[in-house]
Amino acid sequence: MSRSFEYAVQHHRLSHWHTQDGRQELLMMLPALLLLITFTIVPFIMSVPLSVTNQRLLPGPIPAKFIGARNFIRILSHEDFWQAFWNVLRFTLMVIPVQCGFALLMANFLNRQNKLKGFLRGLFFLPFITPMVIVTVIWATILQFPTGVLNSVLGWITFGWFQAVDWLGNPRTSMLGIVLLSAWQAFGFQMIIYLAGLQNIPLELYEAAEVDGASGWQKFWRVTWPGLLHTNIFVLMITTIQALKLFTQVNILTHGGPRGTTNTLVHYIYEAGFIAQNIGYASASSILLLVLVSMVVAIQRTILKRFET
Amino acid sequence: MNIRERRIDKVRAVLLLILGVILVAPLFLMFASSLKDDRYQILAELGSFRAFIVTNPELSNYVEILGKKSIFPMGRFFVNSVIILSGSVVGTIAVSSMAGFALLRGKFKVNKWMIFVIVALYIIPLESIMLPMMFEAVKLRLLDTYLIQILPFIASPLFIFLFYQFFKMVPESIAEAASIEGASFWKIYRSIYFPLNVPAIVTVAILQGMDMWNQYLWPLLVTQTDRVRPMTVAIANFFGQDEIYWDKAFAGSVLMMIPVLAFYLFFQRYFLSSVASSAVKE
Repeated sequence: MSRSFEYAVQHHRLSHWHTQDGRQELLMMLPALLLLITFTIVPFIMSVPLSVTNQRLLPGPIPAKFIGARNFIRILSHEDFWQAFWNVLRFTLMVIPVQCGFALLMANFLNRQNKLKGFLRGLFFLPFITPMVIVTVIWATILQFPTGVLNSVLGWITFGWFQAVDWLGNPRTSMLGIVLLSAWQAFGFQMIIYLAGLQNIPLELYEAAEVDGASGWQKFWRVTWPGLLHTNIFVLMITTIQALKLFTQVNILTHGGPRGTTNTLVHYIYEAGFIAQNIGYASASSILLLVLVSMVVAIQRTILKRFET
Repeated sequence: MNIRERRIDKVRAVLLLILGVILVAPLFLMFASSLKDDRYQILAELGSFRAFIVTNPELSNYVEILGKKSIFPMGRFFVNSVIILSGSVVGTIAVSSMAGFALLRGKFKVNKWMIFVIVALYIIPLESIMLPMMFEAVKLRLLDTYLIQILPFIASPLFIFLFYQFFKMVPESIAEAASIEGASFWKIYRSIYFPLNVPAIVTVAILQGMDMWNQYLWPLLVTQTDRVRPMTVAIANFFGQDEIYWDKAFAGSVLMMIPVLAFYLFFQRYFLSSVASSAVKE
């Protein structure tokens, strides 16, 4: 970012070719500017005053009152908020090894593959282009209790030892069910990112390792893994932010249940603002979500900067 | 490549192919189920291999959801989704590319700060401002319209920045020459920068198109009637019923998946490169 920023500044001093008529320039900026102000900046600024009132979605006869930090105090002492927070964390910690691990494995296989490489890559990418709503329809049947596909397959391969599980209905497995379908849908994305990352590792490093008699595992841990440092940081960050925004799957399949075990921060905001129509309270929760997202971005930026210098 | 390596490559191809078929099996399940007439049959066959195959395919589910008097008017929702997608893709390409160009080649000093602001805005997720936005939509009387499902997405910080980055790669000398010939600022954008950056346009169209086709949370908040509701919300509504009509839900899903698959088959290379570039451009 900072590099392109400096580039832009430099170009300003260099370019003399444009017409001195700034009107066209302004007109070309105007639509974007107006839309960004209306649909990002104004709502963003509005969320601050809204968060300190008891504003309802559809204004009632009694005008909204200023209530200070009461919304924030209520949220931070609300058990459901903390459960949603821990659920998001739990989801992140489960989905990263499953989804990114699998993506990295597939990327590694494909990177070495010659025959059918393009076809296989296209095939593995199919779940990612499947809209999440469709994914929930399909996986609702796969995770069915007691005779869904997953239960049956697990039963066959363990010769009947496996007892059918109510994946989404059991508080102990509900989040795992959400993790499985989310990882299935999105691993293709990480696979493509990893493939790009793998192609950036110089072949000479592998040749040198081969000359030194390194095994496959050694090559992976000594050459591939360090070479993917930037890719890993990026994948980690984007997966974490995606996890913070988790909503669709949970809203359709479990409504945050059973017993709040799949509730997420966005679902919490949705229920407070849309279902309970309490905009003030929901705005306060939204601010907390934005703080979390910004923290993840800030951490990533700091880490990247440290590795760059 | 020696013979041994070539053999390994072949074996790995077969193994990966088997794995690939297993991975996309859920999609076969969807296609197969959508062709089964009876929703109880779908449920009964879920636990066996029959879930993935159809013995006597029937199109009755499709006929029913596409019928004029259907209680699940999927045709209507499909058209709504297409309108929202086309409006926002065309809008995004026009608005974001103009802004990207003005930011890069404009003369105003304020522009260099705008880039900072734009990148900062990119961090704000829709989820964290959606309720004030909805409050605003109520005030502007835009609830339950196509416009409220299109407008918020067409000035995307990500795509403005993406166009900005692509435009930066166009050699400035071309524009300088045009400027000497007397071309205006708008003309240079319209006849040089825009047509020279088809890859940027394709990338934005694919990324924004996928995003809009999948849009769920925002339409859930701002649509109230079938008139403007997109497919995502309509399909999710199957889950709200006392009894889930799996046959219709699957047929609706296939209907929604067909355009995605068609585009993917023709433009696969661009899909993959777009997704990869969206990551590199961060």
